[in-house]
This record gives sequence, structure tokens and C-alpha cells, in this order.
Amino acid sequence: MELVALCQQGEGKFFEILVRRYMEKAFRIALDFTRDTEEAKDLSQEAFLRAFSRIKQFDGRSSFYTWFYRLVVNLCLDHTRRKGKVVWERLESERDDERERKELTDNTSGPDQEAIAGETKRRVDKTLDAMPTKQRTAFILRNHEGLPIADIAKVMKTTEGTVRVYLHRAVAALRQCLVEFV
Amino acid sequence: MAAKKLETMCKELEEDLVLYYYGEIADEEKRRLEQHLGDCGGCGRFIEDLHRLLPQMALPEELPQSFWDDYYRETIAKLRHQREQKFYWRNLFVPMRTWMIPAFGTAVIAAMAFGVVLSKGSLSSLYNQPQERIPKEIVTDTEQLEFFRSLDMLEALSGLEGLETSKADAHAA
Repeated sequence: MELVALCQQGEGKFFEILVRRYMEKAFRIALDFTRDTEEAKDLSQEAFLRAFSRIKQFDGRSSFYTWFYRLVVNLCLDHTRRKGKVVWERLESERDDERERKELTDNTSGPDQEAIAGETKRRVDKTLDAMPTKQRTAFILRNHEGLPIADIAKVMKTTEGTVRVYLHRAVAALRQCLVEFV
Repeated sequence: MAAKKLETMCKELEEDLVLYYYGEIADEEKRRLEQHLGDCGGCGRFIEDLHRLLPQMALPEELPQSFWDDYYRETIAKLRHQREQKFYWRNLFVPMRTWMIPAFGTAVIAAMAFGVVLSKGSLSSLYNQPQERIPKEIVTDTEQLEFFRSLDMLEALSGLEGLETSKADAHAA
């Protein structure tokens, strides 16, 4: 909080400490949404630039990280919307082909754990893509990033009860898609 | 692949079980669920599935330290660039800082002097303005007035003459 206050007073150099502190988390969230290292890097860096230019708008009612994660999530969702479903589907099918080729070559040495893990990941990604945005966001923030439900509610500007429902639905959908592996 | 039937858990407890897995449940509720899990095979199996599947999905891709070093460097460079863009006008004055104040003072004095000179010129031009032209009608009226004045004078002269002749007649009589 002290650091944020200093940044708000125009001490820009202190923001570099905030970058160091939150860069890994911001990048991971963006990677969970995009699943592309370069895009995740660009989006999370853009989130830092926005946070820096809007730091005076941060009123301290929530913690800095929930405010900042909200910026990251919104950027990722905008990016996903901009890319559009068609592009996602196209990329997905390209990835499917690639994986199928890989799995075929892997099959020469027998069905191993790597192939199963690959298939699991592919199904999970597909289910996450098809999931409503809010369910997906709640799931990523809780399951992948370990944020408590109370903080997720702040990031998503909704109630804890709603987040619980989103999370439950997302988990149920994912379990259903992995029915053959359970 | 053929659809496989999921192990049946108590449907009404599904949400609580998900929250239990994530540790997002109150102590009392937790105790109640744990008691239930001891008795219910379906719910126990559901929790086992979550423990097996969900952590796999969150496995982070390990990135080398060099990636984070580059990431940090790039982000800081972008931030500095953004800051420079925002305050670009400050940089315009950077080379002039040492002599900017005396230069600015001189410029102000010069501007004031120039202003005085200009205002003086405009005052003198105000005095030297050409006199206002008298409209033609007024000039004509003035000429007519002169004419009537001369008529008055003639009348007065003829009056004087008349007076003198009447005086001379009186003397003669």
C-alpha cells in the first residue's frame, strides 16, 4: 500500500518494484487465458502500462492486487473477444492436427502418460474455451492462480455466492469432459 | 469414445464438495461433509476425482530465469517510454535549463519594451489623425448663412442710407 501511495504521488520508480512483485502472477493469468507465451507477455505488460497510467484512480477500497488482476483479466477477455471464436476454432483445429500427429508417433512406443496428459490438456482447453466467460474466469483464478473466492468476487465485481456458483459449474463441466479419465 | 457414466455423488452436495475441495467452506460445514464422506462412496470418489484432475490443469509451464529477466527489462523499458511520451514537453526544455531563466527574463523585458514602443506609436497616430470631413450639406448651409448675413448687411446699409436721406430732408425742410 505504501508503494502504491508513493506511485500515486508521482514517484514512478517505485512502480518498478510493483512490476517485480506482480509480473509472474500477471503473466500466468494472461497465459491461462491465451495459452500463448508471446500474447500473454504482451497482455500482461500492457496491464502494467495501464495500471501505471491509472494508478491515481486506485482508491484503496480493495487491495492493489485485486485491482490490478481485474485489469489483467479485462485485457485478456477483450483480447479473446477481439480474436473471435472463429480464430479460436481455427487454432484449435490446427492444434488438434498437430497433437494427433504427435500422438500417432508416440503410439509407436505405446500409449504412455505423456499422450494421456496431452489428451487431457486438449480436452480441458476445449471445454474452457466453450465455457461462459465468467465461469472460465472464476475457475482460472481459483484453480490455476489460487485466489480466494472473496478476492475473485472483488476482481469480477460480483458476490461471493455468484463466484461459488460459477466455480461449481465450471468444475462440473470439466469433470464431465474428462469422464473417460476419471 | 463411448460416453462413460460418472460415479454418482449426492447431487445436492456437489457445490459444497467443490468448495470443500478448494477449502472454501466454514468449519461446521466441513465437519458435516467429512462425516458424510466417510459414509458415502459416491461423494468420496467425487472428491478423489477432483484431487486427481484439477491440479493437473493448473500445472504452470516452467520458464527459465532469463525469461523473467527479459520480461522485467522489457516492461520497465515500455513504462519509461510511456512516461517520456506523457511528459515529452518537459524534455523540450531540458537543454535550455542552465540559461533558460536569464533568457526568459530578457525575452520578457524585450517584449515589454516592444509593447511600449508600439503603444506610443499608436498614441501619436491617434493625435495625428486627419480632421473629420464636414458633410457637404453642412458646408452648403454654412455658405447659405454667409449669404444671408451679407443680405442682412446690405439691408442694414440701405437702412443707414435711408436714415441719412431722411435726416438730410429734415435739414432741408
